[in-house]
Amino acid sequence: MAGPLLDIRNLSVHYRTPRGDIKALRQVNLAIPPGQIVGVVGESGCGKSTLISAVLRLMSPNARVAEGRIGFKDQDLLVLSEARMRALRGKEISIVFQDPMQAHNPVLTIGRQMADIQYRDGTSEPEKRRRAAAMLGQVGIPDPELRLDQYPHEFSGGMRQRIAIAMALMARPALLIADEPTTALDATLEVQVIHKLKALQADYGCSILFISHHLGVIAELCDEVVVMYAGEVVEQGSVRDLFHAPQHPYTRRLLECDPGRIKERTRTLPTIPGEVPDLAALPRGCVFRERCTDAIERCATEHPAWRTLSDGHHAACHVAGQAADTKQ
Amino acid sequence: MAAIEQTSGSHGELREILGHVVREPLGLAGLIIVSLIVLSAVFADWIVPYDPIALNIKDRLQGPSAAHWLGADQLGRDTLSRVIMGGRVALQVALPTIAGAMTIGLTLGMIAGFGPRWLDNLILLLFDTVRSFPTVMFALAVVALVGPSLETVVLVIMATSAPTYGRVSRTQTLQLKNSEFLLAERAMGASTPRILLVHLLPNVLGPLAVLAAMDIPTVVGLEAGLSFLGMGVRPPTPSWGSLLNDGYTLIRNTPWLIIAGGIPLILTTLGFTFLGETLRDVIDPKLRARKGER
Amino acid sequence: MLAYALKRLSLAALICLVAVTILFIIIHAVPGDPVSIMLGPRATPEMKALLTSKMSLDKPLPVQISVFFGNLLRGDLGTDIFSNRPVATIVFEQVPYTLALILTSITWSAVLGILLGCYAAVRPNSLGDRLAAVLSVSFIAAPAFVVALYSLLVFAVWLKWFPAIGAGEQGDLLDQLKHLVLPSFAIGLSWVGYIARLVRASMLEVMGELHIRTARAFGLPERWITFRYALRLAILPTITVIGVGMGFLLSAAVFAEIVFARPGLGKLVIDSITTRNYPVVMGSVLVSTILFVLATTLSDLANAALDPRIRKSL
Repeated sequence: MAGPLLDIRNLSVHYRTPRGDIKALRQVNLAIPPGQIVGVVGESGCGKSTLISAVLRLMSPNARVAEGRIGFKDQDLLVLSEARMRALRGKEISIVFQDPMQAHNPVLTIGRQMADIQYRDGTSEPEKRRRAAAMLGQVGIPDPELRLDQYPHEFSGGMRQRIAIAMALMARPALLIADEPTTALDATLEVQVIHKLKALQADYGCSILFISHHLGVIAELCDEVVVMYAGEVVEQGSVRDLFHAPQHPYTRRLLECDPGRIKERTRTLPTIPGEVPDLAALPRGCVFRERCTDAIERCATEHPAWRTLSDGHHAACHVAGQAADTKQ
Repeated sequence: MAAIEQTSGSHGELREILGHVVREPLGLAGLIIVSLIVLSAVFADWIVPYDPIALNIKDRLQGPSAAHWLGADQLGRDTLSRVIMGGRVALQVALPTIAGAMTIGLTLGMIAGFGPRWLDNLILLLFDTVRSFPTVMFALAVVALVGPSLETVVLVIMATSAPTYGRVSRTQTLQLKNSEFLLAERAMGASTPRILLVHLLPNVLGPLAVLAAMDIPTVVGLEAGLSFLGMGVRPPTPSWGSLLNDGYTLIRNTPWLIIAGGIPLILTTLGFTFLGETLRDVIDPKLRARKGER
Repeated sequence: MLAYALKRLSLAALICLVAVTILFIIIHAVPGDPVSIMLGPRATPEMKALLTSKMSLDKPLPVQISVFFGNLLRGDLGTDIFSNRPVATIVFEQVPYTLALILTSITWSAVLGILLGCYAAVRPNSLGDRLAAVLSVSFIAAPAFVVALYSLLVFAVWLKWFPAIGAGEQGDLLDQLKHLVLPSFAIGLSWVGYIARLVRASMLEVMGELHIRTARAFGLPERWITFRYALRLAILPTITVIGVGMGFLLSAAVFAEIVFARPGLGKLVIDSITTRNYPVVMGSVLVSTILFVLATTLSDLANAALDPRIRKSL
């Protein structure tokens, strides 16, 4: 199979509400090559959750795909029947959610839940158990055999997240979606989980769609980064390009505001002033214009096109490519 | 400083709630039925065609006719008049009972929530135990001892209903007790009675009011049931329950007594239940929205 | 689980103790001489004296209390004044009838209620759901004894489909079942409504939770998700409600037994009140209270067995 594993083209998703249509995703393009880790960065409301639910096709009832295609291994996920989509979930595409404390059914043992997701394999119960225990061992849970018979509330948050990763990787999916998997964990746990994830990805060779707003983690884990703002993709490129030569003003401001990158001691932390626009009543022109310090007149009237700035580095901006390299 | 707002009060808010209620078909139906019942109870003396307790033996066991719309019972008393008066009796029992139960429950609940742990445990045990008596059985036991009467019924139902209000009141009190707002007030030296009355009370009343509205049909049904068994209202006072009792003994030949006695009872319980349910659905999200604002 | 069970059982015992105490207080708080009340105005002084000594009413209060509790622990609920048979025997003769009625009622209403609730939850706001909602509220509203009376009128008197009186021939199971239909229908009807609504609400809440989303994301079949993952959680409050429901059913059974002239605890109590058979009344009320406490204890234990989180707390 040549070409990207996941190939999202021109995806637009709207939510129908009494207030009007909320245009949560607008002409999003995103490609994940096989075996690569692609990070998605963006603040709340940028459309990450909608994107995930669209890929999994578990959108809310009032969501409508206005246009676009989600290519996965040469199929368009948007036109598949529900049965065939369900066959992909948990097998070819799996997910680790953000909140480990709510991810598992509280009244079933971990072993039961891990065996259940293997229901398609046609193997015996003991075999399913064996695989589950092996997977738990791989993510670093001690005494896996014993712990299969325990309930989720008997595990700490960090361990529950590892169990979630184990469950997601158990079927050797082609694509793993990680929705801010470390946001709810403290820093030490975060480091452990990220290292584990990296090691497992190297072993299994799956692709990862990694969503986070923690830039340090993105930098360490990902091969490519996609920056989203208010439902649009504003910049995309390799980790190196994006962190060393960010072109879109939003990306640059994000990097400036990252506490991990601030070298001088200051009393106040920098922020990006202003708010995300109302997705039901979008402004003309560039969606970031109101908060952008580099905006020109064109930004108010013409929506910026998706431009290639260099090999593998793209942005949707009128002024990108004109600023000098900004090394922090 | 975050403020705990009053949950009920201004006219505007009442009108708003009412507006929501009538927009629901069930709520509207409930409101209409309840209004009819209350009005006929209040104006019973004026609208009854006959004296409900006057005997009229020559008319006994007449079926529905022009003279007696719902027929007459075995002593010649006009059924329609007894039905109308029965409505008043039903409300006369239900309202003081619920008021009493609410007061007792409210007080005990607030004490349990606010007081020391041992008192809380004691009161909880009391609640749990009283709720362990099957209500009718307990009422029957008391009636066996003191004899049947309206007062007995009222007192027994009050006692067995109070724990439910008590539990809700206690839960609300506990929640509020630990809220930051209250801690701030106490740090500023507000005294316990003041805290209870001015701050706790309004917030507890809301859920309790909803509970009371839902309780009315239960109490009405209970009183009717006890009167049906002969353990409640004493004759000749008309009660829907005793009407049903008369009807039951005569069921094979004179079914209209049972029909006449049962329909107003069912209508009343349905009406109050529809109204209560709609009220709860309207008030509950508002309460939750307010809590989110704190 | 064992620790939780022990704690819960001791709580149940404590509640029974307090309940018995309350009954005792009520008996003795009543104005007037209990013996005269019991025996009526035509009692001779000899009869009164005999009963007084039999019930130890002439001894000081502390002695009375200890005699009372002592007797209770031995299962002695006193003696029937008229027949001289032990109250305990009389009461327990009737318990099976009432139990049969209650268990039948709760079974059919729980099964139907759960199915209706699940159906409404997986198709929220559909026509079926809204219809079920209105019906549920209506069923909840109508008092059990009125439903009993009307069922008697319609199905037994007019249509003659089912018998109107009694519990059926001893030993003839089919006949007894026929006699159970109308009474258990009458008292179970409001419970179908309650349970259906509760299950619907619980299911809707559970289905919205994150772990259900995870289960879907793993491609688990929808039927598994509904029954194995969601219902398993949603059923827990229903179990508690069923336990509490037994208490209401015990009350409603009184009416059903009177309306359908069935033997049972309810009929026993009513008859005994009419004949002023005091010890039997108290004995019946006591036994029914203990049954209720047992029912709620069992439902709590069932909950703990199904939900591992409960076992950690009490």
